[in-house]
Amino acid sequence: MRHKLIQWVGIALTLAYAALVVWLYAAAPQSIAEVRTQASVAAGTYEVDRARFDAGRELFLREQYAAARAEWERADPARRDARTQFYVAYSFYRQGWGRVYSDDALFRQGLEAADRALALSADAPLSVEDTELKIHSAAELRAELEHGLERTADDFNPLKVFRERK
Amino acid sequence: MNDNRATNRALLRHVLLPTLFLTAALLGGVRVEASSRAILFVAPPLVALVLALMLLSLFACARLVEFGRWLSAGNGAVENVSHALTLLALFFASAQAFNSVLPEAGLPRWMFSAFFLWTLWQNQFSSFDVRRLLRSLAALFGTAFVVKHMLLASLYAPGGGWLNRLAGAALEGVTLGTLEGPAYANSTGYISFFTLALYACGLFLLPASPAAETLEDDGRAAELARALRLLPARERLRIVEELGEETAKEGRD
Repeated sequence: MRHKLIQWVGIALTLAYAALVVWLYAAAPQSIAEVRTQASVAAGTYEVDRARFDAGRELFLREQYAAARAEWERADPARRDARTQFYVAYSFYRQGWGRVYSDDALFRQGLEAADRALALSADAPLSVEDTELKIHSAAELRAELEHGLERTADDFNPLKVFRERK
Repeated sequence: MNDNRATNRALLRHVLLPTLFLTAALLGGVRVEASSRAILFVAPPLVALVLALMLLSLFACARLVEFGRWLSAGNGAVENVSHALTLLALFFASAQAFNSVLPEAGLPRWMFSAFFLWTLWQNQFSSFDVRRLLRSLAALFGTAFVVKHMLLASLYAPGGGWLNRLAGAALEGVTLGTLEGPAYANSTGYISFFTLALYACGLFLLPASPAAETLEDDGRAAELARALRLLPARERLRIVEELGEETAKEGRD
């Protein structure tokens, strides 16, 4: 009886440990802190650091975009929060926007962040209620970023300089 | 007393050995980047899996592991499942042990892979006993460890290790491009050492067959008789006489 119990315990322990090993290689966390983050994501207990998010928003409103993104990166290290990713995409948009031309590299990064935000809010369309923003939905922000990356005859329109940043 | 022994052996086979091998499998692919100190998990390359398969085949040839007994119709279903998991853990630990000592890139990786393949392939056709096999394995892994974590690590070191400076002076004007590889922190070598130590520890504790541990194993006598038949008649007679004397002595006591 005791031997049967040892066998069952051995099987359970081995399977659990093997699953942990496979998960570590699949998730590839780069530090112990990241292991903790990935584990909380897997367990469904992951939460964004509100204080850091708000600090990032303050910096965003003061047009300190790179610093804002650094705060949001710390607030959402696993990049699992759709709202934070929306703000990251927005910061790339505002930083990359220009009256004459837009910065394609920043817009591309913004597009990636907008895609992440959309993927994370697959169940319902993401809408952010923030009076300081002119674009409120992730889909609209994505379209704006995509439009900025396109090469069209409209790019040579001199009246383009009068358009407004959103 | 016997009950304790049987329980401890069951714990070894079903709990301790898989844990040791899985820990070796986990640590075998761990690297620490020199500049950022980030932990990297390197999955075993295909060549490491092939090498591990060849090594298990060698274990079978040397009867270090008797697979037929570990997975036997005579065992219970749960026992067979547990044994299969232990053997699977042994396979992945072997693959990761190779992964841990194989150079990461370039010419040294190809050379060492070829060297390992050739050595293991040659050994498939030679007669082995367990002790010789373990000694040969220790030499194989030890050499690879020294080359990767001491010689090549010094060559790849960001600041330029002693070997890098030496090679630079000796081969001035000649590119070392084929010897280039990623630079890892010194802790990678310590992790690799720990992995190999765990793997060796697991192999040391691994019984050839679970049945060989059971006191009431009828097959053991038959197996011993089979082994005795291989001896010359004179030596066989001597063993029988000595055992007879011992049995008579035990009877008198």
